[in-house]
Amino acid sequence: MSAPADVTRDYALVPEDFVKHLVSTLVVVVAVVLLASLLFSLPEKPPLTIKEYATMHPVSFELMALRALDGTGDIANYGPPYNHGQGSVESPLQRQVGIIHPINAQSDFILKPVGMASEINPSVKGTLTRFETADARRRSGWESSYGPALSKGTYVHGSVLTSKGKFGPVPALLNDTLHLAQSGLMSGALIRNPAVITRFNNQNYLLFLQGAPLQTNPATQAMAGPNWGLIHPAINGYPGAWWMTIPTWIYQWPFVAAARASDALALSLGLLFWLTLALTPWIPGWNRLPRYLGIYRVIWRSFYRK
Amino acid sequence: MLAVDTWLPTEMPEYAKGFMYMLGSLTASSFVVLVVSGILLAMNGPAAWSHNPAMRFVAATHFWAVQAFFFFMMLHLWRVFLTGAWRGGRRLTWLLGAAAFLVAIPTAFTGFLINGDLYSQWNAVQAKDGLNAMGLAWVNLTNAGQMLGLHVAVLPLTLSVLIGLHITLVRLKGVVPPYPDTKAPSPPRKGHS
Repeated sequence: MSAPADVTRDYALVPEDFVKHLVSTLVVVVAVVLLASLLFSLPEKPPLTIKEYATMHPVSFELMALRALDGTGDIANYGPPYNHGQGSVESPLQRQVGIIHPINAQSDFILKPVGMASEINPSVKGTLTRFETADARRRSGWESSYGPALSKGTYVHGSVLTSKGKFGPVPALLNDTLHLAQSGLMSGALIRNPAVITRFNNQNYLLFLQGAPLQTNPATQAMAGPNWGLIHPAINGYPGAWWMTIPTWIYQWPFVAAARASDALALSLGLLFWLTLALTPWIPGWNRLPRYLGIYRVIWRSFYRK
Repeated sequence: MLAVDTWLPTEMPEYAKGFMYMLGSLTASSFVVLVVSGILLAMNGPAAWSHNPAMRFVAATHFWAVQAFFFFMMLHLWRVFLTGAWRGGRRLTWLLGAAAFLVAIPTAFTGFLINGDLYSQWNAVQAKDGLNAMGLAWVNLTNAGQMLGLHVAVLPLTLSVLIGLHITLVRLKGVVPPYPDTKAPSPPRKGHS
């Protein structure tokens, strides 16, 4: 308990119409909210679709698909909770949770969707079979030699063309993936759960585009972490999640920004800030800060004036 | 005190007057607007705003009510901090308010995630790394179904309980009295015990 001397008992009670008090605060909020909604509506920016990305950036799309295929992509090599990769493991806790949302990027992102496309376009089947029946070493050889060639590829008459080389079926497979994506059917092929007819879980759709497509999109740059993005909206001029200012600020601390476990560090430190706030009454010294600051004298100026 | 007839006080301490003492009620009023607009949105489905102008307007009221909620909550937080509102046996009231603040953050965030625009798309894939790193991967931000359930049921119910308990304790304990005036002791007036 606080010391009794902390609280004055020298005050009077005055009549208060609490119904009026509550009705007036509700009216104020409703008025402000309706006015803002009428004047400014909603800050909505259309999402980036697979079809849009594949159409606008066919070579980059195929480079991303190649990374999913050869296991070097962000999600292909992420680690728990998606797979056994190492690329994004920030803490032992993350490893301990295990693989609870399994993703095999090669098969889930590329081979299964292209396999579905092959059912309606039999010309795709030969390419797919040739890739799937090759041994791992052979596949890996095709993939690693195709990377440099693809990065200099050009988009001609609806397909990506590169210099010749020992790439096996990989160029044709990636062009098939590109055509599927450009058709708009790729998202449907990624959001799969044959056990149910509902499509609540859009994880693979979102994770398919989470690397280069979203990271290099000019529309997301203001929302990027190093740019205090956590508190920025998608459309300039609208308020964002400004109540996250402290975690966003922590993300800018040089040692946090440079850390491999920057997300774990920033969120843990943010939680420490909250704990300090929540436990204020029990923290000696800190719990007397308002008294030392004296701003309470301004808030209660008419009371002290008496 | 918590009976229907006596739930709303008929008198207040003389120091609890003015705008500073409306901030908690303004926050609670914003929450009421959020619940009402949220029920309308939930009844029509999370993507209704994208093709129905009336639902787009309701979605806009939900968005601006979130801004109002955090704005007034932040002002309320400053007021209660600067007046040492945990004094006189009000520590639990403070703790519940702080817990409500913490729970309000994922409540708002999951709402932004189910909107389905570029902001949802970006934040789902960006924020997942932090949750995964902290061992909270069961919260799958890229699973819109899970986010919908958290946003319309689990989190608002938790928040309602926390806000309800916080307000109940404020009613039982009253608003914190000022610090004793050590600089200029006032002559004894009508006391309150």
